[in-house]
Amino acid sequence: MKMLKNIAVIAIALSLLVPVISSADQLDKVIKRGQLNCGVVLDFPPMGYFDRNNKPAGFDVDYCHDLGSALGVKVNVLNLTWGERIPSLISGKTDVVIGSTSDTLERAKSVGFTYPYFVFKFQTFSKKGVNINTFDDLKHIKVGAALGTTYETEYLAYAKKKGWGKNNYTAFKSENDAYLGLYQGKVDAIISTNTNIATKLQTKEFKDYVAGPFVPHYDDIVGIITKRSEVSWINYLNLFLVHQIRDGNLNKHHNTHFGTDAPAGLIQTLRDNK
Amino acid sequence: MDYEFHWSIVWRHMPEMLQGAFVTLHVSVLSMLIGILIATPLAIAKLNHNKFFSPIATVWVEIARNTPGLFQIYMAYFGLGALGIHLSPYVAVLCALAFVNTGYLTETFRGGFQSIPKTQYSAAKSLGMSRFQSYRHIILPQMFRRIYHPMTNQFIWAILMSSLGILVGMNELSGETQRLQSLSFRTLEFFIVAAVMYFIITKLVLLSTALIARKLFKGEI
Repeated sequence: MKMLKNIAVIAIALSLLVPVISSADQLDKVIKRGQLNCGVVLDFPPMGYFDRNNKPAGFDVDYCHDLGSALGVKVNVLNLTWGERIPSLISGKTDVVIGSTSDTLERAKSVGFTYPYFVFKFQTFSKKGVNINTFDDLKHIKVGAALGTTYETEYLAYAKKKGWGKNNYTAFKSENDAYLGLYQGKVDAIISTNTNIATKLQTKEFKDYVAGPFVPHYDDIVGIITKRSEVSWINYLNLFLVHQIRDGNLNKHHNTHFGTDAPAGLIQTLRDNK
Repeated sequence: MDYEFHWSIVWRHMPEMLQGAFVTLHVSVLSMLIGILIATPLAIAKLNHNKFFSPIATVWVEIARNTPGLFQIYMAYFGLGALGIHLSPYVAVLCALAFVNTGYLTETFRGGFQSIPKTQYSAAKSLGMSRFQSYRHIILPQMFRRIYHPMTNQFIWAILMSSLGILVGMNELSGETQRLQSLSFRTLEFFIVAAVMYFIITKLVLLSTALIARKLFKGEI
């Protein structure tokens, strides 16, 4: 009887120890689960969008699948809005968000960033005939952008520096709404990324529109994000990104989604910034 | 949950949050006033089966009560935009809120009018009051006293629904919170503070309506 009691005590003690010994990190969890929950913003072509069959597609989605096959697990792509990226990580709905997230130092206090995996330029987009020769011409027209994006922040910071005020500015809930607003004439120009604008220019709705000047002195360098505390997971993701360049996957996806080889400048920026 | 809260960043952005809270309060109070102003004649028209206004009231109430607020705000902004009518986010949200408030309040007011005995109308008439005078002095004061509580419910609902203004990029409390959290990714902190601010706003509004009511109704509510 006494022995049974002892065994029971030891069993309880061991069970208390188990969480300490096997403190599985995110990398272990994903492998054990056999599924990678990968968050992507599917409102941001060609990085993330729904294809003709309503399936997630795009550069970021391809990166999710590459990561899944590197890990040897299935991939579950979750559609996020810009604002849902962080809550989805904190609540554990996603293991990683490949969602064109600009790696500011302010944000890095809250989430863990990998090396950069892509670089954008911010650009104006407007109907032909709207007079925008330099970025400073935006002062005189109605400007819009998607709420909570870095180009919104950059535009507002620029406007503030120049003393323009916010009266001519409209925020839109999503990237698509910003394009809709431009199309309806609610604003004269929007700020977006060069990549998204290039995609829109190929559609017939926007054939009378033109891409204008870039936001001055700004490269938007984006990384993959995950929980800040998951250091070994971030290490793995960093190596994954190195391999994406080394193994030619970056180039392959660039060809698929942008129609050209990855420019040498892009690869150089990624290498310089890591 | 392995999450460390950083509150200092929220305090740093408090002026912008408060500015957003002010816009929230502003738009909901205004939408409520417009709602009351339109709903009163609509309710009377409905009760009197006015040939022209009664059908308008019925259609208004049906649409306002049976479609989501999100849809109404979207229609006011992008729907009218497709027809070439461009409202600013503030005006679009104000219109949508006033539209819904009117719909609900019309029904509330109708109930309030019906709860007043018919004899009072005849009594006012026998005192030589005109129709307008009897509404002004006899019916409306009693009606508003009776529907005071459902009306404050509607008010709170308008404050909370104004958060949908985020959909059309309005800089009310939710929109401002969304923008601020995207700078630092301190999503939880900013939204918790926003929730507390909504709570305080509704409490303040309830308190001030109670004070106004006490003054108007001489304590009897």
